[in-house]
Amino acid sequence: MPQRVEERIRPITPQLAWRVAVLGGIAFVLFGIVFFRLWYLQVLSGQDYVSRASENRVRKERIEAPRGNIVDRHGETLVQTKRAKVVQIRPSSLPESVREQAEAYRKELAAAEADRLKAADRYEAYVRQLRDDGKRDTREQKRTARQLRRHARQARRVPIPELPESEAELGRLYRRLGDKLNIRPSTIHERVIRGLADAPYSNVTIRTDVDPAVFNYMRERPEYFPGVEVTNRYLRQYPHSKLAAQLFGTISEITEEQRKSDDERFEGIPQGTRIGQSGLEATYDKYLRGVDGYSRVVVDAFGRRDEKRELSVTEPKQGQRLKLTLDYDLQRAGDRALAQAIQASVHGAKAGAYVAMDPRNGAILAMGSQPGFDASVFARPFSQSTYENLTSEEKGAPLLNRATESAYPIGSVFKPFTALAALEAGVLKVNQTINDDGKYELGPQKYQNAKGAAYGTIDLRKAMTVSSDVFFYHLGEWLNAEGPKLQRVAKRFGFGRKTGIDLTSERAGLVPDRKWRDGAYERYQECVEKAGLTPGTTAALYECGGVERGWSTGDNVNLAVGQGDLQATPLQVAVAYSALANGGTIVTPHLGKAIEDGNGIPLQQLRAKPKRKVKIPEAHRDAILDGLRAAANDEGGTSSDVFAGWPKEHTVYGKTGTAERQPNPDQSWYACFVKDGGRPIVVVVTVERGGFGAETAAPAARLILSEWFDVGDTEFIQGSDQSN
Amino acid sequence: MTATQPIHPASEPPPPLVPREWRLRLDPLLLLASLGLVAASLITLRSSTQNDVPGDPMYFVKRQAVYAVVGLVLMYGVSRLDYSRLRELRYPLYGVLLVTIIGVTALGAATRGARSWIELGFFNYQPSELGKVLLVVALAGFLVERMREMGRQTTARVMLLGLLPTMIVMAQPDLGSATVYIAGTLAILFVAGAPLRHFAALGALFALSITFVLVAAPKLGVEVLKPYQVDRLTAFLHPSSDPADAGYQQAQALTAIGSGEKTGRGPENATQTDLGFLPEARTDFIYAVIGETWGFVGCALVLSLYALLIWRALHILTIAKNLFGALIAGGVAVMLLFQLFVNIGMNVGIMPITGVTAPLLSFGGSSMLSTFLALGLLHSINAQARETAERKGRATVFQ
Repeated sequence: MPQRVEERIRPITPQLAWRVAVLGGIAFVLFGIVFFRLWYLQVLSGQDYVSRASENRVRKERIEAPRGNIVDRHGETLVQTKRAKVVQIRPSSLPESVREQAEAYRKELAAAEADRLKAADRYEAYVRQLRDDGKRDTREQKRTARQLRRHARQARRVPIPELPESEAELGRLYRRLGDKLNIRPSTIHERVIRGLADAPYSNVTIRTDVDPAVFNYMRERPEYFPGVEVTNRYLRQYPHSKLAAQLFGTISEITEEQRKSDDERFEGIPQGTRIGQSGLEATYDKYLRGVDGYSRVVVDAFGRRDEKRELSVTEPKQGQRLKLTLDYDLQRAGDRALAQAIQASVHGAKAGAYVAMDPRNGAILAMGSQPGFDASVFARPFSQSTYENLTSEEKGAPLLNRATESAYPIGSVFKPFTALAALEAGVLKVNQTINDDGKYELGPQKYQNAKGAAYGTIDLRKAMTVSSDVFFYHLGEWLNAEGPKLQRVAKRFGFGRKTGIDLTSERAGLVPDRKWRDGAYERYQECVEKAGLTPGTTAALYECGGVERGWSTGDNVNLAVGQGDLQATPLQVAVAYSALANGGTIVTPHLGKAIEDGNGIPLQQLRAKPKRKVKIPEAHRDAILDGLRAAANDEGGTSSDVFAGWPKEHTVYGKTGTAERQPNPDQSWYACFVKDGGRPIVVVVTVERGGFGAETAAPAARLILSEWFDVGDTEFIQGSDQSN
Repeated sequence: MTATQPIHPASEPPPPLVPREWRLRLDPLLLLASLGLVAASLITLRSSTQNDVPGDPMYFVKRQAVYAVVGLVLMYGVSRLDYSRLRELRYPLYGVLLVTIIGVTALGAATRGARSWIELGFFNYQPSELGKVLLVVALAGFLVERMREMGRQTTARVMLLGLLPTMIVMAQPDLGSATVYIAGTLAILFVAGAPLRHFAALGALFALSITFVLVAAPKLGVEVLKPYQVDRLTAFLHPSSDPADAGYQQAQALTAIGSGEKTGRGPENATQTDLGFLPEARTDFIYAVIGETWGFVGCALVLSLYALLIWRALHILTIAKNLFGALIAGGVAVMLLFQLFVNIGMNVGIMPITGVTAPLLSFGGSSMLSTFLALGLLHSINAQARETAERKGRATVFQ
C-alpha cells in the first residue's frame, strides 16, 4: 500500500470542539450515574432484592389439619372428618358497597333479635303475672299472651339487600360462578352478605363438596374468578346423624374479635383457622384442632400456581382424638326412650331431655334432648332456613340442648331437698307425722294435692313415697321462718348455679329467695314510678318486668314442692340426685374422658374434680332414700307400677315430678338412681307437656336403666300415679 | 513501514482498485457496538421469551433477528450514499415525517384508541420511530441554511419545527417519542452553536409549561397529559408506594435488576422475568431482564457497548466533512444517548416510566430499523469524511 504523506488535520472550530466536549462530558456523567446505580443495586444491595424476588413468587399456603375424631367410651366413632372441595370468596376482593350492605344487614338482624328477646321477656313476665293474680284468664289476656308469644318465638325477617347495580363486575363473577356451581347468582349474593355479616374478615363459603372437574377447572383459571379461593377443606361427618347432635357444637373460622381478645384460648391462632365455636368442639378445641401444615408454592404475577415448582411442604398434623364418657348404646336407648315418652304424651309433647350419669364422678353416660336434628348441618355453613329451623320456637328449637340449656320448675323432684333442709333446720323430725287432709291454707291462698287426694297422717318416708304436697307445703311454711334455709340447702346441692359441665353454654337456673324477689320488686316499683305507670297494669309489666310483689311465705311454700320461680336444668337435678346417691359429693358433670392419639392410645385422662362435699346426716339420708326406694318399689309408690317386674338386684330410688307451667300443660319429671355396686347410675328425664311424672318421664327412665343393666325391657310402661 | 518502500506524493491518490462505493469503510468500532447490542438483545430474548408464545420458543428471537438483518442491510445501503444529498430533500423529508405521524394519529383517533403504529403484516410500523431520523436530517438541513444568522429567530424557528411533530406524537399519545424529539432538536441547536442564553430561555419556558401542564391545566379542566401518564412520570419519585399502580412496575424492575447481583441468576432462575412479575420484559424493561439474568456483569457489558456507540458517534461528529454531517451526527448521538439513558434510567429506578425503548436492545422492528438507519447515516458521515480527507490528502486519526 502506498504511503501517504501526513498532513496536519484542519482543526475543527473551537466552538464546535467545546460543544462536543460538553456533550461528551454529559454522556460521561450519565454513564457514570447508571454505572454506580447498578453497582449500588446489584452489588451492594443485591441480597435484599433476591429476598424480595423470592417473596414475590413464593406464597405460603396453609394446609388445614383435619380435626381429631370424637368417640364414645368404647371407641365408637361419633364425629369424624372428611375431605371436601370448597369454593370460597375472599372478602378483601369484594367492593366496598357490598361490605357496607353486609354491615347494614348485620345491624338490622341484631335489632330484630333484640326485639325478639324483649318480646320474650315481656311474654314471660306477662305469663307470671297471669299466674300470680290467681284469676281466670280473660279472652283479651289470652290473645295478648298469644301475640307476645309469637313475637318472642320468631324474630322478624330481615330481607337480604340486592347486589347494587353499580357492581356489574361482581355480578358477572356471580353469574360465572353460578354457572359452574349450579347456584343462582342471587343465592351467591345472599351467602356473601350473610357470610360477611357473620364474620366480616373470613372467607365466604359459596359451595362445599364441589365436583372435582369443576374444582380443577376453577383452580386452573384463577383469572376468570378473581377473589375466589378453591381449596380442600375438612368437613365434619356424623355417622350417627342425630345422636347427641346438640353436644358437639359448631366449627367456624376464628373471628376478628376472638383474635384480638386477651383470652388465652385464642392465643397464637392464625387468621383463617377454623376452631370449635360451641359445644365439645369449643371446649376441647386445643386437642381436636391439630396443627396446620404449610406448602410454599411458586406463583406467577397473576397468582397462578406454578405446579412444576412446589418448594416445600410441611405436612399438617391431625388433631387428637377425644374420648367421651358417653356410652353409645345407652345414648341410643335414651334417645329412643325419650322419643317414646314424647310420643306417649297425650298433651301434645314435642320436647324433652334426659341425662344419665355416673353418680360417683359425674361422668355423663348419655345425654339427649328432643327435638333433635341431623348433626350433618354443622358440616357446612347454615342457610337462613336451616338456622331458623334449628332455633325457632315453632320448630321446637332443636339446637337447644334442653338437658343443660333449659331451666324449668321441677315439681316434686325437688322434695328430697326440702326434706333435707327441714331436717337440718330441725323443723321436722325423721319420724314426725303431719296430717294430710288434702288441703292446705295460707291466709287467703288455698293449696291442695293433685286431684285433691288426701293421704291422712303420714311421716316423711310416706310423704316421699306418695308425694304428698300438703306435707311439703307445711315444711315450706315452717322453713320460711328459718330465713333462707331451704334456699341455702338447695344451692348447696347445686341448684341456682352452673354445674361446670364441659360444654360452652349452660343455664344456672334460679333458686328464688327473699332477697331476689324483694330486689326485683323494688326495681319494679322504682321503674313504675319513674315511668308514671300504674302498678299491676300490662303497660307496667312491659316496661318494668313481672315481679309485682315482694317475697311472701307463699313463695317458700311453692318452692318447697319445686314450683313457683324455681328454675333448674335436668343436669342440675342429676347432680343433686348424685349427691343423694353417693352420700353428699357434688360431682362435676363432664363428657370428656380422655385425649387419645389417632390410634386410640391414651395421652391424657381428663379429670373433673368434684365441686364440694355436702354433709348429710346418715339418719336423714336413710329416711329420704327409704322414701325414694319405696316410691319406686312399694305398693302405693308414685312410680311403683312403672317399675313393676323390675329385677330386685338393681334397686331403683326414684322420684316423680309434675311441674305446672301455665298456660302450658304440666311437665313430666323423673329423677332416679341405682346404687348398684359396680355400675351406679343416675337418670333424670323430663318431658315438656308430658303430663304427670309417672305418665311419660318415669317409663322412659326405666327403659334407660333397662339398657344399662341389660334387663331387656322394650315396652314403654306408663304409670297411673297422678301426684305432683 | 520500512525505509525501502517508495514514498508517494500526497497529491497522487492511489489508483482505485474497486468502485468508489465499495471502498467506503464502515467504522469498525461503531459496527462492533451495534452488533454486540443486537447479539445481547437476541440472547436475552432467547432466554426470556421461550414460553411466551406456546409452541414457538423462538418466536420473538426470529423476528428480532430478521429486523436486525434488514436493519443491517439498510444501514449498509445508507452508508454507501453521500448523506449531503439529503440536505436538498429536507422539505420532502419533513413533509413525510408530518404526514406519517399525523396519519397514524388520525387512524388511532378513528379506531378510538391510542395507536401509534400501522399494521404492515410482518410488523407494526411505528412512524414516530422513523420520524426521529427524519426530524434530525430535516432540522439539520434547515439549520445549515441559516448558519450565518444564528440569532434568536433561527433558534425559535428550529424549535417550532421540532415542536410541531412533538405535539403530534404527544397526542397519539406517545410521550416517550415526544421527549426524544425535543432532545434531538435541542442537540442540533446546541451543536450548531446557538447561544447558551437561548437554552437558558428555553429551559425557563420548559419549566413554566411543566407547571402549567401538571398544575394549572388540570385545575382549569384541560387534560394535557392522561392521568396514567402523570402517574407514571411521578411514580419514580415514590417507587414502592403501592404494588398495584405505576410504582409497581418500577418496583418489579428494581427487584429484577437487584436480584441479579454480580453475575446474575441465569435464565433458569430468573423468576421475576419468568413468572411475569416484570412488566414489558421484551421492550421497555429488557435491560432489567439482562440485569436479573446476567447480573452486574451483563449490565456493565451492555452499558459499555452503548458507551462505545456514543463515543463513536461523537467522534464522527468531530470529523464530519461538513456542518450538515456534524449536525446529523450530533442529533443522532444525543437522541441515542437520551433514549438509552431514559430507558436504562427507568430500569434502574432513577427516571420516570415513559415508554422509551432501549435502542437495538428492545424488541421491536420500527425502533431497530430506524436506529440502524441512523447508524447508517453515521457510517456515511464517517466514510465521506475519510474519503474527503483522503482526497484532500488529509489524514484522519483513527482512534
